[in-house]
Amino acid sequence: MTCWGKLGPVTPLIKSLLLLCLSIASMAMLPGCNNRSESEEAAPPATVYRHSMDGAPSSLDPAQASSIYANFLAVNLYDTLYRYKYLARPYELEPNLADGLPEVSADGLIYTMHLKPGVHFIDDPAFPEGRGRAVRAEDFVYSIKRQFDPATRAQGAWLWQGRIVGLDEWKENGSDYQQEVPGLKALDDRTLQIQLVSPFPQLTHTLTQGFSAVVPREAVDHYGQEFAIHPVGSGPYRLQTFNSASAVLVRNSRFRQEPFSLSAEGFDAVSQGHLGLEQLEGKAPPLMDRIEIEFVAEDAARWNSFIAGELDFIKVPVSQFDQVLENRDPPDLNATLAENYHLIANLESGFVHTDFNMDDPRIGYHPDPDRNTRNHALRCAIIEAFDWRKRNEIFYYGIGYVFDGIIPPAAPEFDLQKHHVPVARDLEKARNLLSDHGWNAENLPVIEYGFTSSVTERQMFEQLRSFLGEIGYPQEKVKPLTFATYGDYARAYLNREVMLMTIGWTMDYPDAENTVQLFYGPNASPGSNTANYNNSRFNQLYRESSGMQPSAGRTAIYREMNQIVIDDCATISGVSRRLILLWNRDLAALPDRSFVGGFFFRFVAPRGQSGAAQAAE
Amino acid sequence: MTSDSRIWRQLKKNRAGLAGLLIVAVFFLLAAGVWTGILGQDWSDAGGGRWEPPGKEFWFGTNLLGQDIFQRSIYSVRTAFEVGMVVSIFSTVLGAVLGSLAGWYSDSWIDHAILWLKGVLDSIPFYLFVAAVAYALQGQDWAMHIAMIATFWTTTGRLVRAEVMKIKSREFVLSARAIGLPDLLILSRHVLPNTLHILLIQTTIAFVAAIKTEVILSFLGLGVHDGVSWGLMLAESTQEVLAGHFSNFLAASLMLFALLMGFNLFSDALQDAYDPKQAAI
Amino acid sequence: MRYALSKLAHGLFLVLGVTLISFILMVWFGPDQTYTLIGKNANPQQIAEVRHELGYDQPFARRYVDYVAQLFTLNLGASNSSGEPVSRILKRTVPITLALMLPGFILGNLLGIALGLTAAQHRGRWTDHLINGFSVTGMSLSFLVIIILLQVLLSTPYGLNLFPVRGWQVDDPGSYLKYVTVPTLSLILVTLGYNTRFYRAVFVDESGKDHIRTARACGASTATILWKHVLKNSLVPVLTRIMFSIPLIVISGSLLLESYFGIPGIGKATFDAITSGDQPVLKAVVGLTAVAFVLIQILTDLLYRLVDPRIS
Repeated sequence: MTCWGKLGPVTPLIKSLLLLCLSIASMAMLPGCNNRSESEEAAPPATVYRHSMDGAPSSLDPAQASSIYANFLAVNLYDTLYRYKYLARPYELEPNLADGLPEVSADGLIYTMHLKPGVHFIDDPAFPEGRGRAVRAEDFVYSIKRQFDPATRAQGAWLWQGRIVGLDEWKENGSDYQQEVPGLKALDDRTLQIQLVSPFPQLTHTLTQGFSAVVPREAVDHYGQEFAIHPVGSGPYRLQTFNSASAVLVRNSRFRQEPFSLSAEGFDAVSQGHLGLEQLEGKAPPLMDRIEIEFVAEDAARWNSFIAGELDFIKVPVSQFDQVLENRDPPDLNATLAENYHLIANLESGFVHTDFNMDDPRIGYHPDPDRNTRNHALRCAIIEAFDWRKRNEIFYYGIGYVFDGIIPPAAPEFDLQKHHVPVARDLEKARNLLSDHGWNAENLPVIEYGFTSSVTERQMFEQLRSFLGEIGYPQEKVKPLTFATYGDYARAYLNREVMLMTIGWTMDYPDAENTVQLFYGPNASPGSNTANYNNSRFNQLYRESSGMQPSAGRTAIYREMNQIVIDDCATISGVSRRLILLWNRDLAALPDRSFVGGFFFRFVAPRGQSGAAQAAE
Repeated sequence: MTSDSRIWRQLKKNRAGLAGLLIVAVFFLLAAGVWTGILGQDWSDAGGGRWEPPGKEFWFGTNLLGQDIFQRSIYSVRTAFEVGMVVSIFSTVLGAVLGSLAGWYSDSWIDHAILWLKGVLDSIPFYLFVAAVAYALQGQDWAMHIAMIATFWTTTGRLVRAEVMKIKSREFVLSARAIGLPDLLILSRHVLPNTLHILLIQTTIAFVAAIKTEVILSFLGLGVHDGVSWGLMLAESTQEVLAGHFSNFLAASLMLFALLMGFNLFSDALQDAYDPKQAAI
Repeated sequence: MRYALSKLAHGLFLVLGVTLISFILMVWFGPDQTYTLIGKNANPQQIAEVRHELGYDQPFARRYVDYVAQLFTLNLGASNSSGEPVSRILKRTVPITLALMLPGFILGNLLGIALGLTAAQHRGRWTDHLINGFSVTGMSLSFLVIIILLQVLLSTPYGLNLFPVRGWQVDDPGSYLKYVTVPTLSLILVTLGYNTRFYRAVFVDESGKDHIRTARACGASTATILWKHVLKNSLVPVLTRIMFSIPLIVISGSLLLESYFGIPGIGKATFDAITSGDQPVLKAVVGLTAVAFVLIQILTDLLYRLVDPRIS
């Protein structure tokens, strides 16, 4: 028997383990340092734009492009008839796949549009011999019909529901694609005609949405359910890879050649002159070979990745505003970051508001007129107690735009004079409202505030609870109603089971119609009127305004509707968040997260020689 | 059989174990302070500025909302004890009952049924199961507790079953059966008391596991609904640490660590005392 | 042979139990995807259509039988969110999870065995106490705390800033090591305490057995005893622990790591399926894990009999 030393056989084991660990650790660090330069040397001179998003689309099917993330991808992988001008603010419509703006009949009911010639879908096995065929007007008809086919699980039908002659009937008759829809016709391969039931001046805006993107029927039939992750379109980019963490798009080499024109896109030399956009003139988008999109939901992780140089663009998380901004108003980038990045601070095209469920007799409408009045007073007191200054300060770094009512500043109809109030709360008034109407700590109803359980939403709830505490609302009477998933939360509030809910509404197009409809009676849950607000005067005004072209008269009606909701104390509203976007100075670009949205990808360009020359001047 | 006095003597010799017990006792006093309304009552007030550094007014600083992190971390002691106690006691009792039944009636249908149930629960990935229970009991305050109890009892059950099968063949049990005492009486009077050491140790282990699980579940949004816990504080901190605000993280993680360490040291000492074969002393 | 058959029948019962419980919890009472799939201004009719499309309007028995049938034919359907076939999701995500978890899992166990052996060998002396102290400390650390701490220390300017904060862009061994290190260290730290504790107990237990005592009495050195007898004879409990950890570590462990670090493995896919209510994915993950678990149980059992014929 060999006599081993005491530690003999064990020590080598440990030693080798330690060695293994060390070698792994060191191996891990070495490439960490070398990797970048190596890959940069080895890579072909392809141009890459690395974008980041704070959420991921689950489906790339335009029919399901309901989130801002899905819409960003849909408008790049597919073509829409219209888009918004890259640089013009306020936003202006611009033909995309369509050849010019629609020809509208005098009664506003018939829209005729032509497609640009020579537009092709990308090559794909779904087509005969794998060659992408020409895009036809019939494809658009098919794509809109798909929205109304239950088998598609589409989410965009609401844009056109009850608006296009025969389309809803087409669905009721079993969604047979052979069947024609009288109000949605391809007159020839390149001519489309839409006939409306009643005037709908927002129609052209809806044709900028990812929902309205043109898909080829062959691909839908060929891929079935997998069409959602296998896009076949005619947009400026095509998909290379896609998963829940990232998407890689590559240039669609067959994309139509349209030279960029600064003046046509609404370039403003004063505010945009420093961005290096002049060099784009005459070049045909898409200008980048590759777009890599990282989906990073966690703010801090996204920020660190950006700071480490792994991303070219970020919507700065509010928690980082401190470190990013030199000044708050106007937002100004600090010097270190300004060396490498451009900043733009935009108001979101929407607003955040907290709705009372008016259908809930504990706080909303009540059959007993006396209680109804008391509920009204209670709601008004809660609104009065809500500390917008503090809400803005804590959650939006004090640079959110607080306003009164339901028409947000992003809407052209916003009344700057009247509704941009400094929103001082009046606790005394709130307390008086309560006591004058017989409310006290004993008889106040328990308030249930619904939210999906995330850190921020919980903090917003706790803040609301502390606001209410200041008007004598007992802490134990303000309860959280948490939901683990958004779907379950949505089910609850769409079934009118949630008493108080915070809604972030992103406008679909720059027209206040899109926000006033949130309080139109017939749109009550499960529609988007989550407050279940129902006021006959308001409803009548809504119907009156719905066919009107943008005009001073219509704006006046919108503003009257706005005031009605304010007087009824139906919602605690609101704030438009200011989005701080940063992007790499090496790029000539003007990123946007609003109505231009995903359309800006095609215009992003490396800031080539001219950019460098300008900097040297 | 190990006598109680010997166990106690063993325990007293184990300085680490005593230190652990002391730590747990201190935390228990804090929890009692919260229960009785002396401590941590202002955990929800948002009186400070955002992310104030530690100072005279706010010992551990404030969080985003301006809430006092010291108050919140103290109030969380109560949450931890509530979760820990409810889960450890119920899961141990459940494990004792099912385990002893399975052991006593070993190889009968009762045993098979219980073993099957245990096998089923052990085969579902833990967090998935807990998440699923949390959904099924959507919005219930006790969803998290029930989920943990439903899974934690299986280890206790297995140990108790084995021990009961051993004890069953002992002389005093055989003689009790011979004189015709009813099964349940023998089980509760003579058998179960002899598994107490297992139950005691398992309770401490389940306590630690419950608190740890609460942290993960609260981070995933499936844990504490109303109130505050170290898990919720850590979840908050994940949004703060990378921006350089460490108060939430430090307060929650250090207190969490201290309590768990205390429990683990105590649990260790218990195990050593009952099983000197394994002891390092 | 009869034994194997009875084991198989037993396993079948287990699988049925798991599928039934998980079906009741995760499908019948589970998250409802209807309301994430409807458009902005939906009406009750559209909601009914979506429910129908998702099969939510089918009776309980029908849906459960369909589920079991899917599982046994391995025809797992497609994700309700993306339309991607579940089998493809698994094929895409499981390798990532294995690549993510294996290094930490193996190192965690090897280190645990090494420390456990050392402690057992020096039982009662300061080495033992030191290792014990380490493992108790490790057992007192929350997984979440470890992850946050390591991320701050290793991946941010507040610490060494050596590794990426998150993500998984792996295309060569270098980038693999870059992304896998922090999760691996987290996994080792969180499991090492428990592993060491477990292995030490096994080895101490084994050293107390008769044949070891005999060997010791015959004058064999401590090291020989540990190496030749203890380690060899402890193989069964050690293997059992490792085998049983595999399916759970793959799902439960990676759920947290992957959702925190944004790694597109099976844990993240499962987490996303939970939060979006994507039942086909959820059903497949739970069902397959259960099957894997039962198979491992049967395998381990057979292994027992191979290693130690006395067990019956």
